[in-house]
Amino acid sequence: MSRVALVTGASRGLGSVLASFLAADGYDLVLTARDPDPLNVVATSLADLDVDVTPLPGDVVDADHRRSLREAAEDLGGLSLLVNNASALGPSPLPPLAELSTAEFERVLSVNTVAPLALIRETLPLLRESGGLVVNVSSDAAVGGYPRWGGYGASKAALDLLTKTLAAEEPDVGFVSVDPGDMRTAMHRRAFPDEDISDRPLPEVTLPFWAWLFGRDPQSVSGRRFEAQSELWESA
Amino acid sequence: MKLSEFRFERPEVLQAAEPPEERGLDRDDVRLLVSRRGAHRHTRFSNLAEYLDPGDVLVVNQSATLPASLPATWTDGEFLLNCCTEYGDGVWLVEPRWGPGDPGPLPLSTGDEFVAGGETGHVIGEFPGIDRLLFVRFEGDAGVAMARAGEPIRYGYLEGEYPLSAYQTTFATTPGSAEMPSAARPFTERVVEMLRRRGVGIATLTLHTGVSSLEVECDQLECGCRDVWNPLYPEPFVVPAATARAVTAARERGSRVVAVGTTVVRALETAWDGTRVAPTEGFTRTFVTPERGVATVDALLTGLHDPETTHLAMLYAVAGRERVLDAYESAVDERYLWHEFGDSHLLFAE
Repeated sequence: MSRVALVTGASRGLGSVLASFLAADGYDLVLTARDPDPLNVVATSLADLDVDVTPLPGDVVDADHRRSLREAAEDLGGLSLLVNNASALGPSPLPPLAELSTAEFERVLSVNTVAPLALIRETLPLLRESGGLVVNVSSDAAVGGYPRWGGYGASKAALDLLTKTLAAEEPDVGFVSVDPGDMRTAMHRRAFPDEDISDRPLPEVTLPFWAWLFGRDPQSVSGRRFEAQSELWESA
Repeated sequence: MKLSEFRFERPEVLQAAEPPEERGLDRDDVRLLVSRRGAHRHTRFSNLAEYLDPGDVLVVNQSATLPASLPATWTDGEFLLNCCTEYGDGVWLVEPRWGPGDPGPLPLSTGDEFVAGGETGHVIGEFPGIDRLLFVRFEGDAGVAMARAGEPIRYGYLEGEYPLSAYQTTFATTPGSAEMPSAARPFTERVVEMLRRRGVGIATLTLHTGVSSLEVECDQLECGCRDVWNPLYPEPFVVPAATARAVTAARERGSRVVAVGTTVVRALETAWDGTRVAPTEGFTRTFVTPERGVATVDALLTGLHDPETTHLAMLYAVAGRERVLDAYESAVDERYLWHEFGDSHLLFAE
């Protein structure tokens, strides 16, 4: 059976690391991100690997773009893995909730919560057919209550609950949320504009976790929330 | 922790270069160092039961050793592919080596195809921070390749090539370890029977070990292995419900829990939920250090560990650095033998 993965936010950081790992493992890929140039750089870097890669720049909050992502997956033969990785942090530096504008909060929720659900809905027939896996990328902010992380954290907490609910409602598809842990990424730099974050590991540090997760039967992990850098990855 | 805290003098010659059977001994004839209440006693492993009390529970690892070393070829030549950890769905973490005493690195990179034990595979990516460990996907069945052509993983300090049976413990039932969980190697039916008669319980768990060669070869700070201190190397394990119950019950009645091997400590510590050992299954990255502490075991029965290796941090966590180094001084004085075919050490926490 064909293995096709759709990764959002694939132009940088964790998304691009995942795209490279999946391509090397033989997945055909649909990749998306808002900015076309770095997305094309990622796609081009995978040219030597013997897989089909379709880069489609666009915004996941746009319904037309989501439809074209689904069509691109269909062109590759279906969909067995959806990684909702694209995320909006909100303003940088992060403001306390009392200063977070409604418009900014709505944008965070649109990208981090509403769009992933809409993309799942768009691709669900393909995922049901393959018995596939949906990975929603979460954050420790979803459970933390950290000052200034309220808007972003709330969007990820809601995403975690959507994940759990979908797992209960859709027995043929696996749904997990994954907190990748602190990593040295552009988003992390925006979250801590005044700090040196060079002590944080690169997103590659999570690769053993992904290798483990993708080796499990999607139904055996469905409904779980994982921390990629934790001491224990529990499968049962 | 500083690397200097893990240094001690151990003459190079004090390494077991062959199994005790090759020296005309039974497995349980190896020496046993018992470190308890600040004193060190020297005995034979066959006397183990004398140092345990009725009600104590030994926890053993029932993982069996795989013939995990495969002859392999790729476009640039021949090599050994040491299979380290199965991740599922055909994906393995492996260490390619030129030979038992010649680790490489080999110039294999992502996308490269190889044939190992007659099965084709290709490189998916590098393990983060440890360049010599690669993720690969076998197109066929790695188990078939091992059955066909695999040998136990061997290292350069051994004198001969010993069969897979030399790398199995008497508790081995579940194949999956790249290297023998060697702490249980000296157990024989005779020793198990003596323990039973004494009223010592034996509980089992499974933890499949990966390759420890990184530590063996990188025990010099100068070796340039930038990840010698990266201990967060995931290993699959299962703590069954019966074992979780046996450990919790022993603790509640005041009996001792004795881990047979560092793998057992790692598994039990991972399964500890703060109040009890819970049935747990998955991959563990737990690194047991003095800072983290040990909640689940009262003693550790293990081999002797090399200077500058991460397992020492666990020993320090169980008994304290001073006591461990004091014990090792005694072991060196008495000419104990290190490594998987060597002598044994029962280290009590109190």
